[in-house]
Amino acid sequence: MADILQTLILGLALGGVFALMGSGLSLVFGVMRIVNLAHPVMIIAGAYVAYWGFKLYGIDPLVMLPVAIVILAVIGILLYKLVFEREARSAKYSEMTVLLTFAVAMIVEGALGGLFTNTQRVTSPAYATDAIFIGDVFIPTGQLYAGILSLVIIAGLALFLKYSRFGYAIRATTQNREAAELLGVNVSMVALVSFAIGIGLAGAAGSLVSFVFSFFPAKHWEWIAVLMSLVVLGGMGSLLGTVVASFLLSVIAAFVGTYIGATWSTMTFFLALFLILLVRPQGLFGEKPELA
Amino acid sequence: MSELLHVSNVTAGYGDGPAILDGAELTVEPGKVHCIIGPNGAGKSTLLKAICGMLKVRKGDVLYRGESLKGLRPDQVLRKGICFVPQERALFPKMTVRENMRMGGFSLPDTSNLEKRIDEIEERFPILKERRDQHAGTMSGGQQQTLAMARTMILKPDIVMLDEPSLGLAPKIVQEMFDIMRMMAAEGITILLVEQNALMGLKNSDWGVVLDLGKTLFSGPAKDVLQDPRIQDLYLGGSKAA
Repeated sequence: MADILQTLILGLALGGVFALMGSGLSLVFGVMRIVNLAHPVMIIAGAYVAYWGFKLYGIDPLVMLPVAIVILAVIGILLYKLVFEREARSAKYSEMTVLLTFAVAMIVEGALGGLFTNTQRVTSPAYATDAIFIGDVFIPTGQLYAGILSLVIIAGLALFLKYSRFGYAIRATTQNREAAELLGVNVSMVALVSFAIGIGLAGAAGSLVSFVFSFFPAKHWEWIAVLMSLVVLGGMGSLLGTVVASFLLSVIAAFVGTYIGATWSTMTFFLALFLILLVRPQGLFGEKPELA
Repeated sequence: MSELLHVSNVTAGYGDGPAILDGAELTVEPGKVHCIIGPNGAGKSTLLKAICGMLKVRKGDVLYRGESLKGLRPDQVLRKGICFVPQERALFPKMTVRENMRMGGFSLPDTSNLEKRIDEIEERFPILKERRDQHAGTMSGGQQQTLAMARTMILKPDIVMLDEPSLGLAPKIVQEMFDIMRMMAAEGITILLVEQNALMGLKNSDWGVVLDLGKTLFSGPAKDVLQDPRIQDLYLGGSKAA
């Protein structure tokens, strides 16, 4: 019984972090139909921001988090202006972005490797290796903090989307770009800002990830399938779906890890991705797929 | 004759493609309902898109109160008082009815009266009040079209352009949509309607315009268009239809 509870808790703690890792990806796809394969490498970049802040200046990664958001958001703006904006009117935009973001992922990975080498890193504030015990079960403090903070950031994002004027514009553009434009929304501005927010969220996720997982530049390839499975299961572009899917899959992965074997744990996400695409390609909260 | 909007000799098309409109003419008088009819591909929707700035006017001009709309973006045309309700997909399906209404006022520079304005409109369309917290995409086709049309009234526009409000609706519901349109006209909103259902469209309009192959063939009082034997044969399904 304690085993089951323990596994559940570990799964839930990681679920929050995965949700934050996937939310920026989901937002960027929802608004711009960009399948951003470079999202995980941006998370790695965010992790490096937190890592060096701690290593060089002893700044807590939780304090570095807003710094990582700003740095990554600026990178996002530059990237959007340089790579994605000019093609935005193309009919094959989504397909093109798969290749473009793949290339961006390779370039950023190379740059990070060149700058920081391929050594495994992990930020190690005191709480990262601590744990809270409740009876027989324990909660790793690092994962707990990361999970809670992730949910707080996602809740903030959800409130922003639901109630702010710009949030209305983002949602409207996601659901019906043409109608939004006809009602006076500057959709190019919405696209730019959403992209900046999406990459900024990758920065936030990176800061948290930096003390939860060890990382190195090429690690992002492992995460692409994980994040894709979350976003696809949730329904591409649905924030709520991404959160639900993250908790679902990370709990399942935790149980697979405990009862079948740790090597099979990551497989859960890949298998889930295949199964979702076969059974319900639009995901839990998504629209029917539009291929045109 | 006073004219509100004048389309003169306009050529327009999609991207680098061929011209769909090729010398179209249109005169819009204030307060009246104008119905544009014509076969598929005649350029009816293209004309509305060219007026609202979604498509570039390649040749000719669009004059609104004597001022050219050429080269303006859709949001700029909207701010001048011309609303366009595109075919079928004018709404945000996963936003509530109320949120859709708020989006209708997005272009307002001052939104302090927006909620009050929406309340007023909801009073007149009880179904929208009843469904205010429901996602727009879960409503029936007629209710969605009602929302799309009612939403334009938030801006108190001069001209509302409707692209096939009857599409996919049952005949009884279609008449309801035309009733709403007539009510808007009675309040002084000028209507520019594109209809595939030419007979019903003309019966509910003051003025008829026949468009074919991107050119304006005929323009006159809707009654005259309905009774013109050539137009009956070509566009209204034969003389028995009228």
